[in-house]
Amino acid sequence: MAADTLFRRITDYAHRADPYPLYAELREAGVVRQEDGSYLVGTYHEIAALLHDPRISSDRRNRAVPDETAAGEQGVPPSFIGLDDPEHHRLRRLAMRSFGPPHTPGRIDAMEGEITRIVKDLIAGFEGKKRIDIVDDFAYPLPVTVICRLLGVPTEDEPRFRLWSDTIVAGFDPTPGEDPAERQRAGSEARKAMGLYLGELAEKRRNRPSDDMLSAFINNEGPDGRLTQLEIMTTAVLLLIAGHETTVNLITNGILTLLRHPDELDRLRSEPPLMPKAVEELLRYEPPVQMLPQRTPLADIEVLGVTIPKGAPLILMLASGNRDPQRFRDPDRFDPTREDNQHLGFGSGMHSCFGAPLARMETQLALTALIQHLDKPRLVEDPPPYRRSPVLRGPRHLLIEDDRAGA
Amino acid sequence: MNVVVDLNRCQGYAQCAFLAPQVFTMHGEESLLYTPVIAEDQDERVRRAAAACPVQAIVVGKEAGSGAR
Repeated sequence: MAADTLFRRITDYAHRADPYPLYAELREAGVVRQEDGSYLVGTYHEIAALLHDPRISSDRRNRAVPDETAAGEQGVPPSFIGLDDPEHHRLRRLAMRSFGPPHTPGRIDAMEGEITRIVKDLIAGFEGKKRIDIVDDFAYPLPVTVICRLLGVPTEDEPRFRLWSDTIVAGFDPTPGEDPAERQRAGSEARKAMGLYLGELAEKRRNRPSDDMLSAFINNEGPDGRLTQLEIMTTAVLLLIAGHETTVNLITNGILTLLRHPDELDRLRSEPPLMPKAVEELLRYEPPVQMLPQRTPLADIEVLGVTIPKGAPLILMLASGNRDPQRFRDPDRFDPTREDNQHLGFGSGMHSCFGAPLARMETQLALTALIQHLDKPRLVEDPPPYRRSPVLRGPRHLLIEDDRAGA
Repeated sequence: MNVVVDLNRCQGYAQCAFLAPQVFTMHGEESLLYTPVIAEDQDERVRRAAAACPVQAIVVGKEAGSGAR
């Protein structure tokens, strides 16, 4: 089939359960211009190089045809994921001051006990059920509870921000052929509403700090100054969405993959120290963020003999790079002991995932505890039903039956 | 257990400093300091840190560091 419809096919919901053959077609085709003028890159080395190339912008306002998600002067400005240096660096560093090293090196490590308790409570909640939904009963509530504690957001408000979050994610769904303007407008509105909500929570903690990141954002001042109110809003929205929409897929994809590879599941159950590497392999094999759809070249650039013009939408297919046989031996094989696994699951370069250490810890603890608890788990349907988004890809539900599920 | 970091590979992603903060510390934003001989109670954390390194710069084990003698 024509390579210029590849993106249409990749984003087509019909291919959500298994986009990997399309990624193979993409790698074969090289850099391909799509019918709408965007460019796809799916080979590992080219993606990695572009992620480290200062001529590639993350700011959609640099597109020749900016869209609603780029936000205008009247809209909410982008968070640091959608900015370039030096602004990106300043905001990311200010956010990092209260999240990790060098200023707060122990915060994530100190959460291990609490994450373990939340996991245990969720598993205790299986009691009396023979059939459980890994998404709703386990993989969704865990990261939501964790990000709420970390930011200092009341978990009871989850139904409110779940709605905003769904709308925001739908707003940056790059699926072509549907009129995106309305979705993008709704997404911007939801971002504004969520920002106001989080800004208000932060404001309540001014001069009355509790041990959470919103308190730190509003009270701590470093040599770079502090986040403005608007920056607190955009940063907190970014972190809440990221904590809310990605780790759920990593955990769910993890259980799905292990159930499809029962020998590996047994091995991890008897050798828990293998789990950290297994989670890295999951990030390669079934990454929760399949693509980075918001890059734009600041100048004409040549990649694999194709000139990508300045201002054109550039889409980097991380999940395709992760299966590139030029980089990974036997790339379609799930191998939890794989060596030399420099996957693109968290991106690479200056925008590499801010929350990666937290996602790693949550997923390692969640998968270890769950496979220890379950006895002979069986998938009720394979493939399971998927969420709509082609970017943040994962099952919407994952029903399993297990004789011990609720024991 | 011993640990060696290839500081030519290290790019300051700091994943190890999050996951095993008693063994790996960031000095400023980019330079890494670490303890080459680690206490047993840090084994699990160091294993997590080594697996998480985006540039696979951390070598862990009884043998790590033996080549440097």
